[in-house]
Amino acid sequence: MSMIERVLYWLAIVILIIGLIGLKTQISELEKKTKQVQTELQEGG
Amino acid sequence: MNPKIERAIYIGLIVVLAGLLVSFGKKEIELQKQIPVTAEELYKKLANPNINIQIIDVRPYEPEDEDYEDEYLYYTDIHLPGAIPLPDCDESKAPEEALDQINPYAPTIIVSKDGDPEIFKKCAKKFKIAQNLEGGIEAWDDAGLPTEDGEYEPPKAGGGGGCL
Repeated sequence: MSMIERVLYWLAIVILIIGLIGLKTQISELEKKTKQVQTELQEGG
Repeated sequence: MNPKIERAIYIGLIVVLAGLLVSFGKKEIELQKQIPVTAEELYKKLANPNINIQIIDVRPYEPEDEDYEDEYLYYTDIHLPGAIPLPDCDESKAPEEALDQINPYAPTIIVSKDGDPEIFKKCAKKFKIAQNLEGGIEAWDDAGLPTEDGEYEPPKAGGGGGCL
């Protein structure tokens, strides 16, 4: 396996990991907001 | 290491990570569905020509008799500019010209009279990505944002641009 091929695989892996971290952060924020909305709904009615 | 084995390891790793990315993406969409959008947030989104959103109005289309006081009850009395009528999320109650415009795969905002979460839950099933308008048409009008009245008019071919 050539060095270029190895670098490309690692590049893809790094991009995917960055994407996963970004999505995970967004999901955590959305989960917080969802809990907030559900609490508001329960309190409201 | 044998190059074939090394390559298989890399590809396996990429497949696993891509699978995780897809499942995270699906989870994000599910969570987004549960968070209502405020009238101001929606207005900002609609004003951005790069964001493509369809607005579905699930209130009854037009009054059957003229003896009523609530101005927010019917689509023909007041609606968001460009909103597509789909009363009770029932295709049989929607005007024919509106049916052609409904895209179940487009990001969708569900508009009811007061943003009732139960109505939203029922309608959200019909769309891939859907959010509820918090406070419904009442909140939109209270915020002083633009509204229209009258029958639904489908967008003219080649018109382009946002709906505001």
